[in-house]
Amino acid sequence: MAAITFDGVTKIFAGKPAVDSLSLHIDDGEFMVLVGPSGCGKTTALRMLAGLEEITTGRLLIGDQVVNNVLPKDRDVAMVFQNYALYPHMSVAQNMGFALKIRGESKDVIRSKVSDAAEILRLTDYLDRRPRALSGGQRQRVAMGRAIVRSPQAFLMDEPLSNLDAKLRVEMRLEIARIQRLLGVATLYVTHDQVEAMTMGDRVAVMRDGQLQQVARPQDLYDRPANDFVAGFIGSPPMNLLRAGVARDGDVTLSIAGQSVTLPERLASPYHLANGEVTFGIRPEDIVVGATGLRARVERCEALGAETLVHLSLNAKGASQHLVAKAGPRTTIVAGDDLAVTFALEHAHFFDVTSGATLRVGS
Amino acid sequence: MKARRLTLSQRRQLAGVVFALPALALVIGLIGVPIGQAVYYSFTQWDGITTTWIGPSTWSQAFHNSDLWTALKNNAALLIWVPVALGLPLAIAVLLHQRVAGWKIFRSIYFLPTAISWVVLGLVAERFFAYQGTLNSIIHAIGLSGVTTNMLGNESTALSALGITFVFTMIGTNTMLFLTGLATLDPSLEEAARIDGAGRWRIFRHITLPHLSRFIQLAFVMTVIALFSALFSLIFVMTGGGPGYATTTMEFLIYQTGFSQGQFGTAALYGLILFAITGVVGIVQLRLIGSDL
Amino acid sequence: MKTRRSVSPGRIALFVTMLAIAVAMLYPFWVMITDSLHTQSQFISGSGFSLGSWRQLSAALPVGRQVLNSTLICTVSIFVILAVGLPAGFAFAKLRFRASSLVFLGVVSAMMVPLQAIVMPEFVNITRIGLTSGYFGAVLVYAALGTPFSIFLFTTYFRGVPDELVEAGIVDGLGYVGALWRLVVPIAVPAIATVTVLQFIQIWDDLLVGLLFIQNTADRPITVGLAALASGRTTSIPQLMAGSFVSALPAMLVYLGFQRYLVKGLTMGIDR
Repeated sequence: MAAITFDGVTKIFAGKPAVDSLSLHIDDGEFMVLVGPSGCGKTTALRMLAGLEEITTGRLLIGDQVVNNVLPKDRDVAMVFQNYALYPHMSVAQNMGFALKIRGESKDVIRSKVSDAAEILRLTDYLDRRPRALSGGQRQRVAMGRAIVRSPQAFLMDEPLSNLDAKLRVEMRLEIARIQRLLGVATLYVTHDQVEAMTMGDRVAVMRDGQLQQVARPQDLYDRPANDFVAGFIGSPPMNLLRAGVARDGDVTLSIAGQSVTLPERLASPYHLANGEVTFGIRPEDIVVGATGLRARVERCEALGAETLVHLSLNAKGASQHLVAKAGPRTTIVAGDDLAVTFALEHAHFFDVTSGATLRVGS
Repeated sequence: MKARRLTLSQRRQLAGVVFALPALALVIGLIGVPIGQAVYYSFTQWDGITTTWIGPSTWSQAFHNSDLWTALKNNAALLIWVPVALGLPLAIAVLLHQRVAGWKIFRSIYFLPTAISWVVLGLVAERFFAYQGTLNSIIHAIGLSGVTTNMLGNESTALSALGITFVFTMIGTNTMLFLTGLATLDPSLEEAARIDGAGRWRIFRHITLPHLSRFIQLAFVMTVIALFSALFSLIFVMTGGGPGYATTTMEFLIYQTGFSQGQFGTAALYGLILFAITGVVGIVQLRLIGSDL
Repeated sequence: MKTRRSVSPGRIALFVTMLAIAVAMLYPFWVMITDSLHTQSQFISGSGFSLGSWRQLSAALPVGRQVLNSTLICTVSIFVILAVGLPAGFAFAKLRFRASSLVFLGVVSAMMVPLQAIVMPEFVNITRIGLTSGYFGAVLVYAALGTPFSIFLFTTYFRGVPDELVEAGIVDGLGYVGALWRLVVPIAVPAIATVTVLQFIQIWDDLLVGLLFIQNTADRPITVGLAALASGRTTSIPQLMAGSFVSALPAMLVYLGFQRYLVKGLTMGIDR
């Protein structure tokens, strides 16, 4: 087992950087989730770690060994593929024991390791089956099993849950996290699903257009996003990002869609707020619908059962901005209502209009 | 340990080259090089041992040789059997596709002659067309006792006998192709047409046939190439190119010119002409089946 | 569907037609068997049956030896074709190197070269390196002629195998050689079967290569033996037919055994 370090790793595809000087450290035993929209370079990063993709520049280390030109078989990492890539001509047991067999382990060792892994994954009854005769969830477990029997330096997982149905995905989310903690192997887990990122990772790395945006523990990522992209990507429904004018005079007066909100000095002080414009971010659950505040019209309501999403438009003098608020279940709000909303400003975020970076002091 | 310095993709490419190399050596050495040699030798007087450069005059001489034109004419005349070699199997495939009782056994029987060597089929065909053969027995059996044929012995009919035999030898392969094509036809299309009130012929003409067009094209190309380059065995055992030059096709002319008359250079030249013909047909084939090349 | 199987006059006509075609297709076998069951004199007079031609067959034609020759030539040629074709197909499909698609196109176009077009230089080359005694010249020519098609088929097939499968094997610790023999080849059994059957029939049934590239009479394959017998002056037709029947048997058995792969393989490039 070992730590993993990306040190300024860059991958150029057809003249364009798919991964742009990525620096990321994964501690031994840590569960790191790499999340981002499709095409952001997260899978390329994972494949470079596996040795399936060439590194253009930079260094990649497993433990303290630079592995840039080390063959995949000598890196001692195990990978779980999105489509599982089970060997169709081998039984479940053979699939799981294959890597050990290649390494010349004795039959007894292989058998006992496979049966241990099968125990953990509840696959004991299926060891003699071919992959074709398994359900999607079982195939996923076999793919996991193939990785864990090897006790590798690191687990690499490429969207391993995306081919499962919603219910199974929730189940396997917990299962994978449980097994990873049980084995304590450094893990790089790639996904586009921010829920998986939030629930599974010790830390989460957010990527966009080949560039690392932020690495943090899930709650920190949620509470202190480094920029407007992370703010909008993490959380469902996403954070509302509104254009706001700033007038600073001790307290700060924000003008949003032609209406004014006062931000007390106490709440403004953690941010570099100067006169001009900012991007104002507020999460749906931090919007309070009441009798006073900004005037808003309800455009649409989506009842999700446990809560209701209220789509609002803030309207004044032709300048209109949209936002989404959360209301309780069984709310009486309907489309067309005129409401007033206030913001829980202690949870507000402020970002630079051009760079998108947070204006929080000390970031 | 020098290999350690290679990058991963260099190693992959190196492996690719190494893996492809034995096959490439075989194909270049035994197909590529001889083509080049054939081009060279076609400009020489060559008996297999000594070569004398003559230049392009070999080509003009060759085109003045009536044997070449006879062979080309025979090949062209055989082309009229291609529609038969396609139409008959198409009809048989459609019949098989009706899935009458025992159709799988029929299918196996229809394909079986494909496994027989054309040498053997040629011998059997010779027996069929012979003076005391089956064809004359049939003619006598239907009451025409005065008529006796000897198709292989007659200059005007020998080529037709060869064509008929060729059609017979192609039935298995082409039927198999068309049957596969029919199997991939979505039955709901036929059902929809039937609901729309289309009769059998209309369904065949407007649904089945268009669906089969790719398969028909492939079969056409395969049949034409076989016609130009696979008749050797049949000719060798049935007619030996005769009577006269009546059944001498290009490929048989090459064999005769080279190995009976020892004119290796001229034979190589004829080979290039044959290659040019099959090459044109082959390009068509590549475009048909190799859209993803 | 079962209810529609009631016997209509149309279907009876269909069945009779199919039966008639079957008779025509079985005609060669009927000729071979019935003609072989005469002696030469019975054959000329047209009456009487005898197993005499079968008993004397091996005197006129060393059937056993020639069938063995054919078998050996087929086996070795197919082995060479698979041994060079499988790695090449893998390379073109999964290990793409610089200009590999161009090279692939070149190899595939070699499918279009008829043997007759290159037979003269080929014959001289093979004779010069002294490979016309024994089988090896013929084996080389068969292998070279069969390789382009097998590469085409294998490449097409391997392109359908997901990249991840090979990558999984590589991460599991295989090299490219291991990935080929332990993962890709076991999955490619249908394609291998197709190549094997098609090449078996092609080589077994061929005449020209055997005729030119095998000079020793003792090493002749069965097709050459038959053709030589047929062109002899005092050929016994019953014996010829008996020999023909023997020669047709192995290819037929292979053919019937592997029929289902054949249909798939022939249309692998077109049917998707």
